[in-house]
Amino acid sequence: MSPAPFRSVISLACALVCVLTAAAAQAQTPAAPAAPPSWQQGRNAEQEKSPLHPFAIEVTGKSAKELPVDKLKVPEGFKVEVWADGLPGARSMALGSKGTVFVGTRQLKDVYAVVDRGGKREVKTLLKGLESPNGVAFSRGTLYVAEHHRITRYDGIESRLDNPPEAKVVVEGLDPQNQPGHFWKFLALGPDGKLYYNVGAPGNIVMPAYFQASISRVDPRTGIIENYAQGVRNSVGFDWHPQTKQLWFTNHGRDWLGDESPNDTLHVATRKGQNFGYPYCHQGDTLDPEFGKNRSCSEFTPPALKLGAHIAPIGMRFYTGKMFPAEYQNNIFIAMRGSWNRSIKQGYNVTRVIFDAEGKPKMEPFLTGFLVDEKADPPMWGRPNDVMVMHDGSLLVSDDQNGIIYRVSYGTK
Amino acid sequence: MNGNCGAAAMFAAALCFSLHGAAGEEVPRNAQTCVACHGPGGNSTDPAMPSLAGQPAQFISLQLFMFREGNRKDPQMSPIASSLSNADMNELAAYFSRQKPAAASHETTSENAAAGRRLAEQHHCVQCHGPALLGLQHIPRLAGQQFAYLRAQLRGFKARTRADFDGNMTSAAELLSEKDVEILADYLSGLTPRRD
Ligand code: HEC
Ligand code: HEC
Repeated sequence: MSPAPFRSVISLACALVCVLTAAAAQAQTPAAPAAPPSWQQGRNAEQEKSPLHPFAIEVTGKSAKELPVDKLKVPEGFKVEVWADGLPGARSMALGSKGTVFVGTRQLKDVYAVVDRGGKREVKTLLKGLESPNGVAFSRGTLYVAEHHRITRYDGIESRLDNPPEAKVVVEGLDPQNQPGHFWKFLALGPDGKLYYNVGAPGNIVMPAYFQASISRVDPRTGIIENYAQGVRNSVGFDWHPQTKQLWFTNHGRDWLGDESPNDTLHVATRKGQNFGYPYCHQGDTLDPEFGKNRSCSEFTPPALKLGAHIAPIGMRFYTGKMFPAEYQNNIFIAMRGSWNRSIKQGYNVTRVIFDAEGKPKMEPFLTGFLVDEKADPPMWGRPNDVMVMHDGSLLVSDDQNGIIYRVSYGTK
Repeated sequence: MNGNCGAAAMFAAALCFSLHGAAGEEVPRNAQTCVACHGPGGNSTDPAMPSLAGQPAQFISLQLFMFREGNRKDPQMSPIASSLSNADMNELAAYFSRQKPAAASHETTSENAAAGRRLAEQHHCVQCHGPALLGLQHIPRLAGQQFAYLRAQLRGFKARTRADFDGNMTSAAELLSEKDVEILADYLSGLTPRRD
């Protein structure tokens, strides 16, 4: 084992699981000597020579002063500005009832709290030394944090920002094998008072264990877990429709099937227990070349909207604020953090999803300007990660590449 | 030339005559400590000590971060990084990435020049580190880096005593034999460290 890596690089458990699953699926190819990083898994021999690679974040953050933030664009009447910087790795956001913005990280070990003091933002490192604390949620005075392996609670947090209480465990043992894969978690509180979180797939394209490639929920009062949705490769953003109260979520499709395939997707779960296709069927209509043999896409619930191949949709929220024009009510904003797994890059924006009279969703770019050159390496200078509606109706956008939060407002405010 | 040599008494003697920046460039205060070990302008002359000149800025700040956070450990380097803020790290990274790498001092044996290239292609070193092994983003330049240092790092990745950020390098080094490591270090160290 490596001494103290950001994540245990190649645990024996994974070497076993990945090799076994790969072998089961592809008995004709010899088993690899060790599990490759999960982003490389599923490449064919020719793709091993591909120069495509995920982009690493700036772990020390970047000051907004060094970045072309003046290149950011929003529609007429809107304004975008830097709200706070100095939050390396800033990802999921949650809003406290007194206005504190809580921010989780994935490749760091910190959770931040940002407080507005008379128009100036103060950034505090609230919690340290956590395991990939990507998920944050707030309810009735309590901050919930989802790490790799557990969900914890910090009661009365907003009055204790300088001396946070000890973590109380809601549930643990969520990552029993401590293997590489999509195991950082998004966390949100459902209308039923339960905490919803994802457990992604252990690799790019592998057979998941029963608790993986799913969205689950846990009752914070009892610690009882239920599997809510299956066949979800990796969803790191979800929200409930303000009227129907149905769960909507974004999902990342598999890599290494080409520039245009498959799409990343937006889904709605109309009830508990639906299966959305992974690893058999992608984007509702495309069978996986390996796992899809002898299966049919009609077994699975199709997506509500195809978002673009490899575009990496992360955070998504319904707009319920009072600030934006009326036609934005109940629209969805999605933060697109990719793409890397295509030769011509796309995305790196915040996208608006609008519903037409029949309730059919369509999308258009809302906040753009991060993508500079779709053929360059890197193609972008920043990556939207999560979106969150503030009490005043403005929209915050986190950028984990640089550790910056932007604010989009409308009108003169 | 910035004459502030008081910052690190331990290295004071070395500091006072080793402050070279690119012409007219201001040397960040913290960088004065670094050159005592990493060489003038970040060009090391010690085979066991890495050069920093011309490394991608993101690679330098990532390594400093990993030393500070304890993921990467070294008795000399860890205490240095422990007191650096993120802003210090970014400033140092920007500074050293702008310094011109000195020509390689190492000479690759003729048989290892061909064998090293073959290994670098076979093991996809060139896919990540770039066709000329000059590095990009968080991936380091290997071309012209010190021989003993490269060899020690490759051994470290293999033995899992050198942590890496994303698992990429640990996995890449796993398949190398001790002989491959020797050949690759010899090959890489003799390459031209810049694009001119
Ligand atoms: C006392 C000697 C010493 C001083 C002073 C020192 N370093 Fe280092 N540094 C080392 C050694 C030794 C290593 C290699 C550690 C290893 O083998 O893992 C290293 C490694 C590094 C690395 C990683 C390089 C690579 O290629 O992986 C960076 C970056 C670095 N140092 C930056 C700095 C900076 C910036 C300063 C000044 C603030 C500094 N060092 C001061 C001894 C020193
Ligand atoms: C999948 C991408 C990838 C491949 C393939 C790869 N590397 Fe690396 N390499 C990296 C990254 C990323 C780092 C930075 C490691 C870290 O996170 O600290 C690195 C670091 C290194 C270092 C440490 C240099 C220093 O200055 O500290 C050496 C030496 C190295 N690689 C050699 C090689 C060799 C030789 C090969 C081929 C056998 C290779 N790499 C293949 C991505 C890769």
